[in-house]
Amino acid sequence: MTGTIQQQVFEIIAKQAKTDVANVKPESTLKDLGVASLEAIELIFEIEEHFNISFPDQQGANFDSDSAQSLVDAVQKALADKAAADEGSK
Amino acid sequence: MQSPTLRRVAITGMGAISPHGVGAETLWQGLREGRSAIGPLRHPDAARLRVKVAAQVPASFDPAAGIDERTLPLLDRTSEFALHAAREAITQSGLDFDENGLGLRTAVIVGTGVGGETTQDEQSKRLYGENAARAHPLTIVRLMTNASASHISIAWGLRGPTFAVASACASANHAIIQAAQMIRYGQADVAITGGTEACLTYGALKAWEAMRVLADDDCRPFSANRRGLVLGEGAGIFVLESMEHAQARGATILAELAGSGMTADATDIVSPSADGAAAAMRQALDDAGLAPQDVDYVNAHGTGTLANDVTETRAIRLAFGAHAGRLAVSSTKSMHGHALGASGALELVAVIGALRDGVVPPTANLDQPDPACDLDYVPNVARRMPVRAALSNSFAFGGLNAVLALKRAP
Repeated sequence: MTGTIQQQVFEIIAKQAKTDVANVKPESTLKDLGVASLEAIELIFEIEEHFNISFPDQQGANFDSDSAQSLVDAVQKALADKAAADEGSK
Repeated sequence: MQSPTLRRVAITGMGAISPHGVGAETLWQGLREGRSAIGPLRHPDAARLRVKVAAQVPASFDPAAGIDERTLPLLDRTSEFALHAAREAITQSGLDFDENGLGLRTAVIVGTGVGGETTQDEQSKRLYGENAARAHPLTIVRLMTNASASHISIAWGLRGPTFAVASACASANHAIIQAAQMIRYGQADVAITGGTEACLTYGALKAWEAMRVLADDDCRPFSANRRGLVLGEGAGIFVLESMEHAQARGATILAELAGSGMTADATDIVSPSADGAAAAMRQALDDAGLAPQDVDYVNAHGTGTLANDVTETRAIRLAFGAHAGRLAVSSTKSMHGHALGASGALELVAVIGALRDGVVPPTANLDQPDPACDLDYVPNVARRMPVRAALSNSFAFGGLNAVLALKRAP
């Protein structure tokens, strides 16, 4: 899977939602896309595995209401944090 | 459906190994004082885990104390807990199973969510992590889910119906209900029952982390700042006995197990349904011959997750109607954590204490009321009040609900 981070995240969401990637818009929530509850947790896991990152725990968070763009932002932040940590350990 | 021929069920013994320590009274004293046993996670791999807190049986627990040295190597941690709790309960009951063939009239039904997880985890580590050529020869007998029930049967010569019950977090309540039904229908005169769990292994903790339902600070049921559940461990074991059998021998009766309700949501594998839980509570009331206004206390499932606490509140309102607002409702998981397949058993200790002593244990850490949780949760401080009858709720992943109805000893 290549392309921008946004494209990659949208493709993972589309796969989990069993829909065409064209249907994933930045403002779509997971719930809009029919990804709820345990499936949303599974999606978070797929994104973590794909980018080799860890999202911080979001206790009390409701992933169902997260938008596709907010997940892209979270990936970008996690990648930046990871790069900074790698830099720091050199 | 209540048949006039059903026998009544007395509880004549209780035992517990819990995060509060050894003994049912130790647990009850902790709960009635509002004392939490949740603390920093003790684990060799803690540095590689996100889980920071747990409700663990204290390190001072000595599994070998009073256990036959030839039996010890056969035991997973779940069976150690169960055997110690069973010994306490049976000693309190004063029963002699050699007398009049009572052993053959005694059932052993023990609930556990996952069984011998510690054994499983150790063997996996050995085989996959250390490339060991062979597994330990006692692996199977340690990890089998029925091991706890079988060890209790063997230790006391109990030869009636003996097996394990598994329904995740409702395992203990389902086991206790099964045991009570055997007594009601005359399949047994006595039953040793309850639940045991010990699954705070690296593998299991990682799996719970991945579900993102664990709190990172504390267990705060029904509080707006709740952040999830806190895992626990332990065992609670009880002696159930037909009321006539208990009264004929002049036994001290701790409480009457008056009825039960069991339903399945049949909706989602994890998200709970208020209708399913409410139906189980209604069944338990009907089965026990209780009207809503006869009940003073509900020991809630109260995990401290976003989903459970709101849904359970709605379910209690559905089941109790106008009386819901007059109930004392508390989640003792705020203090002993969520012992999964043993949780209903630890909570039964709390309910028996409430009925016997007239003290309702509190919901600890309830400092920010949630508008969606609008019942009287007995926040933070125990309440002295007469408790005539109580319900104890257990709801499991998989949408399984099991509710006990208890009455004060006659």
